[in-house]
Amino acid sequence: MKPAALSIDDLREVVRQLPDNGLASSREIALAHLDEHGLPTLRDEDWKYTDLSALVDISNRWLASGAQREPSGTTGNAIRRITDSIDATWLVIVNGAIDEQTDGTLQDGSIEVSRFSDAPAPFVLERPLADLNAALLQDGLRLRVAGPLQKPIGILVFDRAGTATGVTQSCVDIDIAPGASAEIIEYHVSDGDEDHYANSVIALNIGGDATVKHVRIQNRSIRHVQTGRTSIALGKNANLSMASYDLGGRLIRNDIDIDLSQPGADVAFDGLYLAGDGQHIDNHTRVDHRVGPATSSQEYRGILNGACRCVWNGKAIVHKGADGTDASQANHNLLLSEKAEIDAKPELEIYAEDVKCSHGTTVGQLDETALFYLRSRGLDKRHATQVLTHAFAAGLVQRAPVAIVRKTITGIVQERLAQLIKADFDAELLS
Amino acid sequence: MLEINNLKSRIGDAEILHGLSLSVKAGEVHAIMGPNGSGKSTLAQVIAGHDDYEVTSGTVTFNGKDLLALAPEERARAGIFLGFQYPVEIPGVNNAYLLKAAVNAKRKHQGLGEVDAFEFLKLAREKMATLGMDPKFLNRGVNEGFSGGEKKRNEILQMAMLEPTLAILDETDSGLDIDALKAVAQGVNALRSPERAIILVTHYQRLLDYIQPDQVHVLSQGRIVRSGDKSLALELEERGYDWVREAANQ
Repeated sequence: MKPAALSIDDLREVVRQLPDNGLASSREIALAHLDEHGLPTLRDEDWKYTDLSALVDISNRWLASGAQREPSGTTGNAIRRITDSIDATWLVIVNGAIDEQTDGTLQDGSIEVSRFSDAPAPFVLERPLADLNAALLQDGLRLRVAGPLQKPIGILVFDRAGTATGVTQSCVDIDIAPGASAEIIEYHVSDGDEDHYANSVIALNIGGDATVKHVRIQNRSIRHVQTGRTSIALGKNANLSMASYDLGGRLIRNDIDIDLSQPGADVAFDGLYLAGDGQHIDNHTRVDHRVGPATSSQEYRGILNGACRCVWNGKAIVHKGADGTDASQANHNLLLSEKAEIDAKPELEIYAEDVKCSHGTTVGQLDETALFYLRSRGLDKRHATQVLTHAFAAGLVQRAPVAIVRKTITGIVQERLAQLIKADFDAELLS
Repeated sequence: MLEINNLKSRIGDAEILHGLSLSVKAGEVHAIMGPNGSGKSTLAQVIAGHDDYEVTSGTVTFNGKDLLALAPEERARAGIFLGFQYPVEIPGVNNAYLLKAAVNAKRKHQGLGEVDAFEFLKLAREKMATLGMDPKFLNRGVNEGFSGGEKKRNEILQMAMLEPTLAILDETDSGLDIDALKAVAQGVNALRSPERAIILVTHYQRLLDYIQPDQVHVLSQGRIVRSGDKSLALELEERGYDWVREAANQ
């Protein structure tokens, strides 16, 4: 199969017409990288389960039609519903543009917020789709966290595709100073009946002895496409707890790269994905253990019902000399339909000697014994199925690292699960 | 109340019950004893409606209704309770949630509204106190990380909340220390009434020191081979199961 190609000439033309705000050199580097490598295809090992045709098609249509942008000013209520419900210091990116009201009115003295255009310096992750992000980025956000925060930082990426096909980029570069601590909520939402492709890049640099708790929620329209790359580096004895919740989207691809090049780092991250008819959710994670001792552990769980496909690919590379590494991976999947497909692939590459590595992957249906137990207590089969399905997700919801957002996550997961298994909403499940 | 007539049941290709008959009347407590593999647990599972066991012939009626035609949940709502030999751990499902869902399922069947949340908690705490259970168990996952004794107490708690017409306790006494055994027995005795019946499936006579049965049956190779009063249990304790098995084969 010949993969669909991005119209690079149209892309160049659109990039050329972007406002001259000091990001030109980044865009040049990104275009050159894209020119050389193109977009990934099914022939690339890391992309073999995920066909990007839908994304290329949306992008080409958007580029050919002159890269229209959704008119601003219609999204306020939808955004406020989210920012009012979670008590965080919110930074909002709407349809690819940084919302001025949010970053201009920050109250917390421990955060310094600026835009890439304030002090232009090339910022390009030369990785698939991150290059496209840098080429088309209008402007990026730079956050510097110096000390303890009054509230969690919320980053809301909101897209509306109400009038035409849309393509948007968001990029946030976060730096946590040594010894500081921060809670970060990353929230991706979209609505609208037109096609949309959102592409995000998050770079997170965690200083020595710093502690970060990070929650990422993706609750996009079931029509929309999102790709995201999260690139994380941890300093000496730094600590990161992270969790991702993928609840919406038609085609979703997440890449998380974690670089451990200082001893004593400790990373634990979870991922929950819920997929129904027509959805494709791909999670690729990569942890580079470059020195030891350091710990990384991940647990991803998926619930799939209907004609859908999910991918989990967890790679841990223990480089030569990274003795004292402790890396563990777990991926568990609940398949409620014969039409659901999961590709689960743990990958451990170990070049050091004194290491502890483990992985476990399971794919299964609901536990028949547990179903009978619940039914023998009077719960009908549908209710018992609902209870066990929620139970499968409950652990990852209850231990969401940022406490104030747990209620929101619980609500969205409950709602999405009820839709997936066509059950009534039950507010007491997961609690 | 429960009439079992010439019941044959198999799991896969193996027939386990070879024509079992049993009659239990309201107000009675029956003990079913027998060696491992004699079909005791199969009988309990068949009455509760487990799909894995296929009934190939015979009838089971409960208060005149054909029990075999009902789904497990319908049997539960009609008043049958099975205390599991191995209660299932369900992490992520709150113990209180299951208790309340079970009580409400039964109430709905009876045409009643949902239980009042406050009254429910109050009652659950009272029952837990009599069973020697810490109220914290309400907020734990169902049987998650419970010890053997805690799991069995939790089964009795569910039974106490559901107030079944017919309770079948499958080796609820196995693996219990003396305090837990007494608590379980107390829970069972509290349920005894002229309208209810209880079937105790057990290996040992020990439980029967605390719960006096009206009848004792010995199961061997899928049939009841001997029935009697409480003294049969004592005789079994003394002479072992081989004695019954030999008598049955003669």
